[in-house]
Amino acid sequence: MFPTKARFVLSVVDHNAIELSPRISEAEVGDYIALLKPRVMSLVVFTALVGLIIAPGHFHPVLAFTSILCIAVGAGASGALNMAYEGDIDALMSRTANRPIPRGRITPPEATAFGITLAFFSVMTLGILVNWVAGGLLAFTIFFYVVIYTMLLKRWTAQNIVIGGAAGALPPVVAWAAATGSLSMEPILLFLIIFFWTPPHFWALALFRSDDYARAGVPMLPVVAGPDATRLQILLYTVVLVAVAFAPWPLGYFDAVYGVTSLVLGAGMLALAINVYRRREGVAATRATRKLFAFSILYLFALFATLLLEVVVRAVAPAIGAVASAIG
Amino acid sequence: MDEKRMPDGIVLTEAQKRSRRHRSIAIALALGVLVVLFFAVTLVKGPAVLVRPM
Repeated sequence: MFPTKARFVLSVVDHNAIELSPRISEAEVGDYIALLKPRVMSLVVFTALVGLIIAPGHFHPVLAFTSILCIAVGAGASGALNMAYEGDIDALMSRTANRPIPRGRITPPEATAFGITLAFFSVMTLGILVNWVAGGLLAFTIFFYVVIYTMLLKRWTAQNIVIGGAAGALPPVVAWAAATGSLSMEPILLFLIIFFWTPPHFWALALFRSDDYARAGVPMLPVVAGPDATRLQILLYTVVLVAVAFAPWPLGYFDAVYGVTSLVLGAGMLALAINVYRRREGVAATRATRKLFAFSILYLFALFATLLLEVVVRAVAPAIGAVASAIG
Repeated sequence: MDEKRMPDGIVLTEAQKRSRRHRSIAIALALGVLVVLFFAVTLVKGPAVLVRPM
């Protein structure tokens, strides 16, 4: 049955001497919540909420809640699978060394099982309870983030976050599809805004964290092409971003309030990107990139919040008018 | 009988028992939310719960 050598080895094994010491997890619920990347999830939920609210027609609040919950859990699943695959990189970077896998709280197989379970339930629940256009788009988003971005692009090309940014830009599209069962120009515009926002945002971060990325061997643009080339790319992408973010107003998709807000915020974003381009040495350079990074978060939040407010004001205005005329 | 003999199998520490209990409660809550969600959507959609655009 066994070759001679194998039989010999088996015969000398003292089974009583084998000490089974399986790893028993001490991971707390908080460790699993950390795997979901709650801060990224909050931005996903917010942008998805905007996609859902600006969609035309009536969407039942229970179905709206279900859609947002599924998109949030799907985003969390992507985060967990990303961390499961990137444990080696995370351990080398100060920004990510405190994550549950580098700290040894959760093993990569545990995180993988957790992520796959959440991905399965989020996609199936969205598909069954809402519609399969949204369910399919959510599945594609998770696939794109985990397989295309995390496994293929991130360690291979400096364009990782440019292409991979598509995954982060899809949540409002998924939400729109959940509300309408189809796609149209408005969610694609939201997609484009987030897509072109991603490179200046992450390259600003990569500029002041380039040592981290270099240590981990991640080919971010400042590591591969140098900080000056990155500064130029940030400026170019910011110009495109400001134009793309402004376009929906003249094209007639969003109102004037949005257009003016987009112009004001865009001017701020552009000024900070120019500052990053000009200041290349010392503390002033670091301060400029940190300012751009922080403002870029505010920029996206304020832009989407304006769209949200427009819809709310439009919905509430007739009621306020009716009350005012009744009093008058 | 030797009373100091270790029992067979794996003996969990208090920390391991506590974290396992917390994880079990979290899984139970998540499953509970899923059940309530399906129930609520069934009420909202009525008999047409399985009729949805492809």
